[in-house]
Amino acid sequence: MKSAATLLALLAPLSAHAAETGALVRFVSCPVYRDADSGKKSGCWLADDPATGLRWDVSHSPYKPDVGMGVLVEGRVSAEAPTACGAPVLEPVRTSRLDTPCVRHVLPAEGYPGRKFKLPPRNIQPLSVARPVPPGPYAERTFVTYFEFDRDFLVYQYDDFIIDNAVTWLRAAKPKKLIITGYAATRPETVTGRKLAERPQVAQQRADAMAETLSRLLPGLPIETRAKLAAQPTDHPDADGIPGQSQRRAEIRAVF
Amino acid sequence: MPRGRPSSALRRRLLLLGLPAAVLAGAATQSVRVGADAPDRWWSPGEGRVFPATLDYTNDHGTIRTLVVDGPIETKGHPFFEPIGTNGRACVTCHQPADGMSLSARTARERWDATGGKDPLFAAIDGSNCPTLPQGERASHSLLLERGLLRIERPWPVRSFNGKPVKPDFRIEVVRDPNGCNSGPGRGPEAGNISIYRRPRPVANLKYLLAVGFPFDPKQGYALPLDPDDGKPQSGNLMADNRAGNLRLQMEDAAASHLQLMGKLTPQQIDRIRDFELRIYAAQQESVQGGALDTLGAEGGPVKLRDSQPGALGSIGTPVWSEFAAWDRISPADAARLTPEQLAFRQSVARGARVFRDRTFLIFDSAGINSRMGFGNPVRNSCVFCHNMTQMGNDVAPGQVDLGTTTLPFADPWDDLPLFRVTCLGEPHPHYGRVILTYDPGFALTSGKCADVGKITLQSMRGLAARAPYFSNGLAKDLRAVVDYYERRYNIGYTEQEKQDLVNLMSVL
Repeated sequence: MKSAATLLALLAPLSAHAAETGALVRFVSCPVYRDADSGKKSGCWLADDPATGLRWDVSHSPYKPDVGMGVLVEGRVSAEAPTACGAPVLEPVRTSRLDTPCVRHVLPAEGYPGRKFKLPPRNIQPLSVARPVPPGPYAERTFVTYFEFDRDFLVYQYDDFIIDNAVTWLRAAKPKKLIITGYAATRPETVTGRKLAERPQVAQQRADAMAETLSRLLPGLPIETRAKLAAQPTDHPDADGIPGQSQRRAEIRAVF
Repeated sequence: MPRGRPSSALRRRLLLLGLPAAVLAGAATQSVRVGADAPDRWWSPGEGRVFPATLDYTNDHGTIRTLVVDGPIETKGHPFFEPIGTNGRACVTCHQPADGMSLSARTARERWDATGGKDPLFAAIDGSNCPTLPQGERASHSLLLERGLLRIERPWPVRSFNGKPVKPDFRIEVVRDPNGCNSGPGRGPEAGNISIYRRPRPVANLKYLLAVGFPFDPKQGYALPLDPDDGKPQSGNLMADNRAGNLRLQMEDAAASHLQLMGKLTPQQIDRIRDFELRIYAAQQESVQGGALDTLGAEGGPVKLRDSQPGALGSIGTPVWSEFAAWDRISPADAARLTPEQLAFRQSVARGARVFRDRTFLIFDSAGINSRMGFGNPVRNSCVFCHNMTQMGNDVAPGQVDLGTTTLPFADPWDDLPLFRVTCLGEPHPHYGRVILTYDPGFALTSGKCADVGKITLQSMRGLAARAPYFSNGLAKDLRAVVDYYERRYNIGYTEQEKQDLVNLMSVL
């Protein structure tokens, strides 16, 4: 874990320096879909920051918005040119679907190509592909999975990749038990004038969801679940430097 | 009629289709002689016939072939073919070889006409719209005769799923009950059961439906559930509502309900049925318009299915329906050996495969695609997004998806089906909202989740030509109606040529 100073830097303010590469942007908005067509999954997701009026390309999020629902955007300004979708790009970026209805807005491509789909770096191999056995020695270790805001749903081509790697290691390491701790960011924060806080119960729901999945992948291995509220940000690499994402997590600790 | 000769119905179809002229065009179109020596079209329980290693039956589009590995099979005494229940049916009653191991509505009508409605197929329990109706009347069996639907009675409320207790997060009420099986004494949700109406799914090519490609169910957000019998991950692709995760559970469910077996299947019966089900393959072998489907480099027919590894994702391996890719580049010399109609049809099939894979459109408001997975709503993709398994076109992941075929406003307004009002008690449905009108809640009757209302498991696309109508509730009367449904559901904008290419493709699978 990095120092508190580093974490504070990660949390540094947002829209004032939003145009600077690497700056953190966080806002609530209604998403806009641009129907760009460079083949499968090539459409663009856009969102306007109400504080600045800037429209961002948030298409790189591992889970995409619903055009009829609000969205929490958290991302860092990328140096990528705004040529694919017609807006400056956030990357890394996370979008979380919120339960607030939005006017559906679908734009035509308007000459923007979108991005030809390519598999994200976090994608798992079919079961027919043997997983290499990770080398020992094995000792206590923690794996971290991440969630959308206020959700406990396993994120495709993100959490499954992390869990697949974890399970491969756990099968080799043969720990005595797993302790799964679900976290929730329950401390209210004001984003775009809206007070956001995760439900306390989502912490346990995240732990339970991971426990259910791991009980299927590692049958017979004892699993304990715990819940922690008021989650703090971490600098774990799989959160991709997005503090809000790092708070919404479940930790899988292998105990020997 | 002597065995081993075409039935009158079959002969009539052969003549109507002009099949001899089509199949005798030469080696480029004919791999083996098909159809002429087929035994009686209808397989009655307990007949004691031998099930040949290869068996062909004609249909409107050509010829369906079943292939039994290490066949033939002696059906005398075999529990798939014997009437082991109390109503005279066997498994084969609703899984007919001529219908690709399913049952077409046309076959049901022919059976009614041949027997005056006395065939066990029309058993009151589920071969009629409701057992309380007068069973001698054709109208009491209209859903089976017109749309090939059997009544399925599910318990309500669902109490467990994947071995864990479940408390449904929705309420269900009956809005309309045209057949009387969801109201009245002992019937309907308030009495602890719900009647819905579904097509029988084909019992063939099952190694594909049982195959597991990846360890997760991304639609449900968990690792795959484990088979209670062998502890291995389950595919989730067997039944329309995913209520049975393995063949034993499926056959026990079917024996108790459809066959009215009073006791339990014995372990020996289960083993024999499973053995047969895992050895039988079915696919269209011959096309009326295109000729033999395994010529000029094409790989149609069940042999390819028998010999291929199941569970492969087409997008990272062999593309879906690449069995017909060779017809995209028929040489002039080969083209000269075909009739102009055959050539045009084969080129259309190859185009159809590309349309299926590559013609994208916006998919929106379909649970299982646009929620809760993170693909977004909408997402641009093609047919192969969901129909993604090489050789079969079912979903490599568990295939519970809501296309709207059973749920308003997308489903057609049929007043002969029961209509239910589902009210979500927790979170609203991600697309329909809190109150949903549906003919069949589908997977939600198994999972107990409002978010799963309307989801129906994708099925095999093989043998389609033999088993109209289509979709779980027979919504599409023919292959063109399938394309038309997708067209209006997603406003795709297919050209007329694309529609015909897709129809032709589906007719040869």
